[in-house]
Amino acid sequence: MDVLKQLLGRLHPLIVHLPIGFIMIGLLLQWYDRKRKENNSVISIIFLWAGITATLACITGYLQYLGEGYAFDTVKWHLWSGIATALFSFLMYAKLKAIQAFDFLSKLPVIGWGIFLFILISFTGHQGGNITHGEEYLIEPLPNSIKSALGFETFEEKEISLNEANWQDALLYEDVIKPILNNKCVSCHNPKKAKGELLLNSEEGILNGGENGSVIETSKSSESELFTRLILPMDNDDHMPPEGKTQPSKEEVELVRAWIDAGSSFEKTIAESGLEKSLFISFFPKKEDFDHPNIEIVAASEEQIKVIEATGIHIDQISKSSNFLSASCINKPTFTDADFEVLLPIKEQISRIDLGQTKITDGIFSKLAKLPNLTILLLDHTAITGKNLSLLTSLEHLKSINLTSTSLKTEHLEALNKFKKLRQLYLHGTEATPQNVKLNNPKISIDFGNYQLPPIASDTIVY
Amino acid sequence: MKDQIERLVQEHLAREAQEKTRRHFIKSCAQGLGGLALSSIFMGCDPLTKQSQKSASTFSERDLNPLATLAPHYGPKVKSVIYLHMAGAPSQLEMFDYKPKLHKLDGQDCPESLLAGKKFAFIKGTPKLMGPQAEFKQEGESGNWVSDFMPHFKKVVDDVAFLKAVHTDQFNHGPAQLFMHTGSARLGRPSIGAWATYGLGSENQNLPGFVVLTSGGNTPDAGKSVWGSGFLPSVYQGVQCRSKGDPVLYLEDPDGVSRDLKKSTIDAITKINKEEYAKYADPEILARINQYEMAYRMQIAVPEVMNINNEPEHIKEMYGVEPGKESFANNCLLARKLVEDGVRFVQLFDWGWDSHGVVRSGSIDKGLRNKCTQIDRPITALIMDLKQRGLLDDTLIVWGGEFGRTPMQENRGNKKMPYKGRDHHGDAFTMWMAGGGIKKGASHGQTDDIGFSGVEGRVSVHDVHATILHLLGFDHEEYTYEFQGRPFRLTDVEGNIIKEILS
Repeated sequence: MDVLKQLLGRLHPLIVHLPIGFIMIGLLLQWYDRKRKENNSVISIIFLWAGITATLACITGYLQYLGEGYAFDTVKWHLWSGIATALFSFLMYAKLKAIQAFDFLSKLPVIGWGIFLFILISFTGHQGGNITHGEEYLIEPLPNSIKSALGFETFEEKEISLNEANWQDALLYEDVIKPILNNKCVSCHNPKKAKGELLLNSEEGILNGGENGSVIETSKSSESELFTRLILPMDNDDHMPPEGKTQPSKEEVELVRAWIDAGSSFEKTIAESGLEKSLFISFFPKKEDFDHPNIEIVAASEEQIKVIEATGIHIDQISKSSNFLSASCINKPTFTDADFEVLLPIKEQISRIDLGQTKITDGIFSKLAKLPNLTILLLDHTAITGKNLSLLTSLEHLKSINLTSTSLKTEHLEALNKFKKLRQLYLHGTEATPQNVKLNNPKISIDFGNYQLPPIASDTIVY
Repeated sequence: MKDQIERLVQEHLAREAQEKTRRHFIKSCAQGLGGLALSSIFMGCDPLTKQSQKSASTFSERDLNPLATLAPHYGPKVKSVIYLHMAGAPSQLEMFDYKPKLHKLDGQDCPESLLAGKKFAFIKGTPKLMGPQAEFKQEGESGNWVSDFMPHFKKVVDDVAFLKAVHTDQFNHGPAQLFMHTGSARLGRPSIGAWATYGLGSENQNLPGFVVLTSGGNTPDAGKSVWGSGFLPSVYQGVQCRSKGDPVLYLEDPDGVSRDLKKSTIDAITKINKEEYAKYADPEILARINQYEMAYRMQIAVPEVMNINNEPEHIKEMYGVEPGKESFANNCLLARKLVEDGVRFVQLFDWGWDSHGVVRSGSIDKGLRNKCTQIDRPITALIMDLKQRGLLDDTLIVWGGEFGRTPMQENRGNKKMPYKGRDHHGDAFTMWMAGGGIKKGASHGQTDDIGFSGVEGRVSVHDVHATILHLLGFDHEEYTYEFQGRPFRLTDVEGNIIKEILS
C-alpha cells in the first residue's frame, strides 16, 4: 500500500498539468465564445474534466505530502488553493450547465468567475513550483539590482577596492572582511541555507557561531574556526570552502587571520586596527604595464591589415582584449623608409614596431613620428645614426627604444632627455658607453650591453 | 618491349573486368553509402574537419598556413620561450637549495617516518642522509643561494626567480618528462611548445615555430613525445635540429636540381595535395602541404640561423661554444639566434643529469660538477646576451629537470655505491624562470631542513604550466582543444598561476 501511495504521490507533478490545461482551454474558449454563447455545452464539459482532474491532482498531491515527508506548513497554501481550484471548476461547470440547485451562481457575471479561476490556478501552480524548486528559483537569474528592488536580500559580490590614498581610512570589516565573506562563504552561510547553522552574512551571525559553537576566539586566529578551517588541507572534509567551491586567495586568508588577531572589530578602520600595509597591497589597483598605451581605440579594418600583410610586413593583434597592433619586418628584411607609407592607415593602432635588420635610414624618424600610440620601438641592426631622433619627442607613450648594433652617433641621444615616458634604452653594439652617454633623465634605464664572462680557473677543470 | 607493355595492360583490364561483377557493384554501393554516413558521424568529433567541411574548396589562412599568428587572450608578457631541460634530473641540493642542517646530519640514518609510504626508484631499506656536496653562498642583491658548482651563474642570479618547492607525482624519467612537458605522465598529449605554437602561431614564415635541440649524447628517456603534438595537428610538433653537422638532414638539394625546379616541383605537389584535401578534408593533408613549403623555405633560412660560425668571436667565447661538436653551449647560442629570428618556442634537452652514483660521470661530487660546468657559462651567457639585445623582456627562460634528487645517499640493492649518488625524488625540487613578466631576484617556496618536502609555497607541474601560458597571454583555463568529445587543457583541471614570481 505504501508503495502505491508513494508511486501515486510521485505522479502528482504530472497530473497537475491536466487541470491547468483544461482550465486554460476552457477560459480561452469562453473568451472566443463570449458574443454568441453557442458552445456552452462543450465548454462545460471541459470544466467538468478540469474539476475531475483537479480532484485527482489533489488526491495525488496529498499522497505525495504524506509519502515524501513535507512539513504541513510548507504545503498548506498549495493544498488549500488546490482544493479550491477543484471546487471552483465544478462550480463553473454547474454554472454553465445552469443546474437548478446552483441557481445562485448566475448572479455573478461569468467574466468574474473566469478571472477568479485564472488567478486561483496561477497561484496554486506557483505555490507548487516553489515547493519543488525553492522559493528563489525564479528570482535567482535576475541581476542584483532587481533582486534588491523586489525586496530580496542580496549578497553582493563586491570586490575589495583599496588604494594608496584610502587604505588606512577604510573600515576593516565593512570594506575588506565582509566582501571576502560575501564572495567566498555567504552563498552557503546565509539565512536561506545556513549550512552548519552558521550565518556569515552579518555581524550578528558571525558572533552567534554555528552548530559547533563560536567561530571566533577573540584575538586568537589559531583557535578560531573561521580562520583554521580555511588553512586545513584541501582533502580534509572540514576544509572551508568545500572542495570545488571558489577558494579565497592566500592574501584573503591572511587578512581573515589578521582581522581576528587584531580583535575582530566590526567598526574600526584599518589604521585603528594597526594592520600593516603589506597585507593590503595586492588589493590595490594594478598599474597595467602592457606594451601599449592605457587607452581604448577602434580596431583597424581587416582589409587594411590584409593589404599591409600582402607586402610582407607582419601584423599582429596584441591580444584579444586590445585593438592595438604590433608590426614587424621579420619576414621583410628589404623594408626601406619608402615602404613605411603602407602602414599609415593603421597608424593609430600600432603600439609596437619592429624594424630591426632592415634597410631603413635616418629618414625613418619623421615617419615614425606619425604613430601617436607607439610604445615600443625596435630599430636594431640598421644603418640609422639617430639623427632626427628628436622628431619622436611628440610620441608621448614611447617607453622603450632598441638601438642595438646600429651606426648610432651618441650626440643624437641628447634629444631623449625630453622624452616623457621613455624608460628603457638598449645601446649594445654601438659606440655608446657609460662614459660618452650622459642623460639627465633619471627615469631612463640604459643597457649598454657588452657583458663579459671572463674565463675562470674552474672552467677547464674536469672532475 | 612495346608488346610486353601492351600485354600487361590487356591483362590488367581483363582482371578488372572479371572482378567488377554485379555483386561487386552492389557491395561497393553499400560500403560507399555506409561510409558516407559514418564519415559525417566521425568527423563531427574533430573541430578542424568540421571547419573544413564547411568550405572544402576554400581555405582559411590558418588552413593554408597553420603557423599564421593568432592573438592570445590577454596582453602577453613574452613572445618566445626557451625551455632548458636537464634530462635525468639535476640535484637541487648541490645547485640552488642550500640545506646546512643536512650537512650536520650527513651519514645518519634517514628517519623511518620520512620513508613511510614513499616510493623510490632504487633506494632500499634505510638509506643514510648525505650532506650537500657543494659550497653555497648568497649572491647578488637578492641574496639567493647559489653553489660553487655554478660560479658564473651568480652574476645573473638577480635576473631569475626561483621556485624552490616544485613537486611532481612521477619518480621515473620517462613519465616524469612527459608530465613536465605535456601535463600528463601518459603518452598522447601535446607538449607545451605545441600548445604555444598552435595558439599563437609563429612570426617568422621561414622557420619552424617550435625547435628542439638536444645535447649530452642522448635524447630524453620519454622519446620524441616530449616535444610531440599529441592530438593537435602534427604541424605543431617540435622540429628537432642537430647542433652538429647539417642542422636538418637532407636539406641540401641534390646535384643538378636547381632552386627553380625545386619550386615548381613543390607547386605541383601542393596542387595535387589541395585536390586531395578537397576530396577527403583530412587536416593532415594541409599539414603536409605546409611542411613541403616550409621545408623549401627552410633550405635557405635554417642553415643561416643554425650557423654559429658567423657570430663574433667574443660572443662565441662568452657562451663557450665548441663549433662542430654537439654541445649545450652551442645550443644556448642557437636558442638566442632562433628567438631573435622570431621562433616561438625553443626547447633544449641536455642529457646526463641522472646522478645515481653508479658511475663516475653519474656521481654527485664528480659527474654532476662537470655537468654544471657545461651549463653554467652558456646559461649565464644566454641570459646576459638576451638582456643586452633587449630580447629578455620578450622571452621567458625556464630551467629545470623532470624531478629532483633525494637528501639521502642512494644505496642501490642496499649496498654502498662506488660513487656518491642521490635517487630520484619528486617531492621537492628547484626550477627557475627568467625574462619578461618575471619578478627579478624572487624566490618562492621553501623546503624542510633536509630538503625532502616543500613546507611553504609548494607548486605543482600544472602550476608551472599555468604560469608559462599566462606569460604567453593565455588563460590556461580557457585555452582548450576539443578532442574525443571533450575540451582538453594543458593543465587538465588543475594549475594555479604562481603570482609570487610575477612582476
